[in-house]
Amino acid sequence: MNDGQPVATEFRARSMRELGGVLAFVDRTCAGVEADTVFAVRLAVEEAFTNIYKHGYAGGEGPVAVHVDVAPQQIIATLVDAAPAFDPADAPVPDLDSPWDQRRSGGLGCHLLRQMMDEVKYVRRERDNVLTVVKTRS
Amino acid sequence: MNVEFDTRGNVSVVVISGSVDGLTADDLMNRLQGYVAEGNLLLVANLAAVEYTSSAGLRALLATVKQTRRGGGDLRLACINGNVRKVLELSGFTTIMKLFDSVDAAVASYAVSVGS
Repeated sequence: MNDGQPVATEFRARSMRELGGVLAFVDRTCAGVEADTVFAVRLAVEEAFTNIYKHGYAGGEGPVAVHVDVAPQQIIATLVDAAPAFDPADAPVPDLDSPWDQRRSGGLGCHLLRQMMDEVKYVRRERDNVLTVVKTRS
Repeated sequence: MNVEFDTRGNVSVVVISGSVDGLTADDLMNRLQGYVAEGNLLLVANLAAVEYTSSAGLRALLATVKQTRRGGGDLRLACINGNVRKVLELSGFTTIMKLFDSVDAAVASYAVSVGS
């Protein structure tokens, strides 16, 4: 545990195959943080990371840098990628109401990311997408 | 993640534990679909030991709900912990799936009715 000083760390990935490494990185960085907060941060990072490779890099490879800062009041996760511009806020609203036989699971990732985090900020910085998600600690 | 199958009369209890994420959800889906394809249509998923799920896990559940119901059966959920329940609620799954506080109640529900 730190003495109230924010701890900043980073994980660099090249492909979707590194999801396991990213999740382990989140778990490691958030060691000692309350479980509900870690759950939300893990989910947001997984959904954002998966989305970048599936859609941003269209199933291919490319750089993604994941930062997780654990501060006393909040956890801030940042994902930086070089895929075409994409703001998760623009993702279509998923189907939450139709009967089971018409229900589709598309769009749930971005929806959950937006719902589980307290802040979701996106900026296009030169050729990078920079997504910052913030979870207030419980 | 670990998956185990147990039989309670004509109902199958699927005990899922650990993390259902983008690394493990395909394995879960394949095992559930293979099991249903063998003719096991009445399923109860015991989620007591599921620590985490992302949208990848939801896709596996949705695919299995559709597969069982189209065969006249169902997939019902039991013992869902707080964060997993929150994910199910936010995703609108609690309105299409049947949720129970205990495995016994979920198994017993099949004696009353089958399907949606």
